[in-house]
Amino acid sequence: MKIQAFSTNSLTESIVAFAQFVRSHGLNVGMQETQDALLAARAGLLTSRLGLKHALRALFCTSPEERLIYDRLFSLYWDTNPIDLRENKNKTTTQGAVLKKTNTTLVLLGEGKTPDTYKNAKTVSGANETELLRKTDFTKVSEVEARKLEEIAQRLFREIAMRLRRRMKESKTDGKVNLRRTIRRSLSYGGEPLELFRRARKPKKQRLIVLLDVSGSMDKYSFFLLRFIVALRQHFRQLEAFVFSTTLIRISKAIQCNQIDTVLDLLNQQANNWSGGTKIGECLETFYDTYGKRTLNGSPTVIILSDGLETGSPEKLGEQMQRIHRRAKKVVWLNPLKGMTGYEPIARGMAAALPSVDEFKAAHNLNSLLELETILANA
Amino acid sequence: MDSLKNSSEILAALENHQYVADDELATVLFLMLRLRKPLLLEGPPGVGKTEIALVLSDLLQTPLIRLQCYEGLDVNAAVYEWNYQKQLLGIRLQEGSDLSVAEKEKHIFGPDYLLKRPLLQSITNDTQSPVLLIDELDRSDEEFEAFLLELLSAFQISIPEIGTIKATHKPYIILTSNRTRELSDALKRRCLYHWIDYPSLDKEMAIVHKRLPHIETQLLKQVVDFVQELRQRKLAKTPGISETIDWAESLMALGYRDVNQKAIQQTLGSLLKSVDDIRLIHNENPSVLNQ
Repeated sequence: MKIQAFSTNSLTESIVAFAQFVRSHGLNVGMQETQDALLAARAGLLTSRLGLKHALRALFCTSPEERLIYDRLFSLYWDTNPIDLRENKNKTTTQGAVLKKTNTTLVLLGEGKTPDTYKNAKTVSGANETELLRKTDFTKVSEVEARKLEEIAQRLFREIAMRLRRRMKESKTDGKVNLRRTIRRSLSYGGEPLELFRRARKPKKQRLIVLLDVSGSMDKYSFFLLRFIVALRQHFRQLEAFVFSTTLIRISKAIQCNQIDTVLDLLNQQANNWSGGTKIGECLETFYDTYGKRTLNGSPTVIILSDGLETGSPEKLGEQMQRIHRRAKKVVWLNPLKGMTGYEPIARGMAAALPSVDEFKAAHNLNSLLELETILANA
Repeated sequence: MDSLKNSSEILAALENHQYVADDELATVLFLMLRLRKPLLLEGPPGVGKTEIALVLSDLLQTPLIRLQCYEGLDVNAAVYEWNYQKQLLGIRLQEGSDLSVAEKEKHIFGPDYLLKRPLLQSITNDTQSPVLLIDELDRSDEEFEAFLLELLSAFQISIPEIGTIKATHKPYIILTSNRTRELSDALKRRCLYHWIDYPSLDKEMAIVHKRLPHIETQLLKQVVDFVQELRQRKLAKTPGISETIDWAESLMALGYRDVNQKAIQQTLGSLLKSVDDIRLIHNENPSVLNQ
């Protein structure tokens, strides 16, 4: 493949080769785009270098992220002189693991140049990494990856929220024709049912209560779990959220306003005062006594996100769990430790709580959180 | 459209229509007119995405057809709908006639009984190509994007009872999105793509000046400086260009000649649209004032 403009013989060839070049670096460019690029060239957009750059950018890119990649590729391809090729070659190799990976993957894909094969190309580079990140335990995510993971999580959570909302809506609209009212009204039209009236099923008000453990042992997880809670709010309008370690704090309001930063600040401030121990039982008692009346009616689904490392009395925890379980439709306990191989819920607190838990799931990486969707869809 | 020979002419024409654009946007618009591909504009709210469509229709002197997307938007609201009441009446009227059932049906499902919604309207214009604006596409459901595909690539719409309706004049299609969700690849591949970001200081000053020619230079500079600084902050709602213009306008209306603490307190509501943001800014001294 000719990977620099100077090595081609005509403009058409340069453009076609450039299309191949950017494609091999992960942009979603097929026959159609290449053809359009040639058409654009004919439309007289080649009088200036900038014009060419802008025109091809509009054709080849589909997101702000791709535009950044494009800009780099563009100068790499069009601005290289044979003289400083050696230098530039070095540059390409240091461009980072992601790009290199793409190259090798595409070589393996072979020469079958159907646009469809390349359709996936864009995600090939990300795919492996994304897949890997989704499986990585939250505690083992590095600073750099954390931002990427957050991005992915943001997107997936949004998709979940959208799907859940969609499902609810479908069931809302299949109301049956209300014959009685329709016929009554049709009298004024001489017996023709001109206006159809429907009786839609009233959408059931779904309630969800989330209790998040933010004690020292949960430190690394709570950040992502908090994001997850915020995402859930988009589906469950009536979401009540609490955080606890030694005391219980209601954060529903803050989450409603999307002020995740405020919550995090609040947690950071409080964290210093907290001795690190977790009194799950006591906190659940506070929850039940103070907020139970208001929140535990209409059989809500209760989600508890905690590692179950109780420093208070396990008996109390078991007791409180029973009380809550009696008034909830379903109690889901998400435990990040469950993702560890060989984990058994034998910690005293966890063991005491388990009898009152309907679903006991892991919550140590993104994938495990995504699996919650099925549980929530039936919530 | 034929009078516009290249992108710099477009730039000048946009300028005449009170729209300050850069080279890249002009190039993209030129491509859109030439290649007849739809244009997908993405960017934060309030940077003039919708405005482009309005200006373009003005520029080309062609009607603008607008489809505002929302969650739950479906074919019946966007493409076409049968006029059921009229159909029922039509059946009644035909009761005495000796037409066969097939003929009757053909009549009932004819163009007379078809209600055209924006997308269908856009391809059935008799005289010229309209500008079709599909606004805030990211608000619609993903399923809805699929309905658009046929229109975007082939400029036609298929209606089961009638058949395929081809565009008499291909519309110029502009889609906008705030990127609250990622649009499908299928849709993106059929469009030119352009990302509009918040403008630079100079560009924003030019835009505000274009809209408010009587503004004094000192006020203009201070206003834009202040807004540009605000955008660097973490706010619940980052102000767009339209907010800048609104704010400058309200300052002018109140007779202020420069931005001071009192002016900010009185008019911040036209710039920041969230109580928390307003409180945040009120509680501190913006650096603009110290200069």
